[in-house]
Amino acid sequence: MSDEQQLKLQAFLDGELPEGDAREVAAWLARDADAAGLLGELKNTRNALKNFEPALKLPESREFYWSKIKREIERTAPVATPARSVSLFTLLRRILVPVGAVAALAIAGFITVHSFSGGQHPIAVNSLLADAGAFTYRDQAQGMTVVWLSYPAENKFAEKSSADTLPAK
Amino acid sequence: MAELEYSSAEDAALVRAAQKGDMDAFEELVARHRDKIYARAFSMMRNEDEATDLSQEAWVKGWQRLAQFQGDSSFATWITRIVINLCLDELRKQKRHRTESIEEMDEETGGVERQMPVVTTNPTERLERGELRQRIDRALDQMSHEHRTVLVLHEFEEMEYKEIAKTMGCSIGTVMSRLFYARRKLAALLADLKSQ
Repeated sequence: MSDEQQLKLQAFLDGELPEGDAREVAAWLARDADAAGLLGELKNTRNALKNFEPALKLPESREFYWSKIKREIERTAPVATPARSVSLFTLLRRILVPVGAVAALAIAGFITVHSFSGGQHPIAVNSLLADAGAFTYRDQAQGMTVVWLSYPAENKFAEKSSADTLPAK
Repeated sequence: MAELEYSSAEDAALVRAAQKGDMDAFEELVARHRDKIYARAFSMMRNEDEATDLSQEAWVKGWQRLAQFQGDSSFATWITRIVINLCLDELRKQKRHRTESIEEMDEETGGVERQMPVVTTNPTERLERGELRQRIDRALDQMSHEHRTVLVLHEFEEMEYKEIAKTMGCSIGTVMSRLFYARRKLAALLADLKSQ
């Protein structure tokens, strides 16, 4: 008997064959004593197992067995709940901190630019060298700085200085 | 709302209560089915400690996945499937850590059972009930876990070939082959034809 035939016989016993195949096997069993003998052995073994599954009792008391299960359930459950709220807070903090920092930098930059540019108009900054008759203009929009020096000097200090250095006519 | 009388309530009512967080209802389910779940774990693992641990793990998983239980099968069937899957995972882990013996490889392909003469005597007629039970127990001990598992799933859990193949992650052909040789070996062991 081939392996395939043996497995077919078993499938017949277990009711796993399509109807056509089952009819073929039934006919084969009627004329083949070896096949019928093997089927009988398989059937006896199957019945022995089906009716005699070892009846086992858990070797622990109900209370002790349950206490371990309950402890494990409680150990895993509380961890999961706070973990969710903590992680949400952490997530918000992770997002909000850098976003806040970027926003603060942007606001600071905006204020700085406005204080220097005064909007669209260039700002004129009086030079510290006022006594030399020098003025500085800075245009933020154009990226340009103009320094204006009056010559001859338009104030008394400059006039004095000029008088000291220029030769008398 | 009337309070649930746990000891007389049906499984379905206890499951509904447990799904709402009633742990006492779940304890009642554990008490009712713990022997069956342990027995199933033991039949696959053949070790008391492992069977106890895995059965407890199954109950913890059962509680955690209780929301997924829709009542398509009975609660007992559902929790049994959980313990079977845990046992299979454990057996796979153990198998990765050990080298297969020659006997095991021989068993996978059929081994001596291929040529073994047909056992004509019926063990249920020849042996006393207690003796037969012991012999079955010893015979299951001597099988590879693949053959034992296929027997347990088919004969005890009454699964079809297709379902066993899905559970064990193998082909239907492999299931048929393993079941055939497991049965033949068991027949030989029960009839004392094979040395124990």
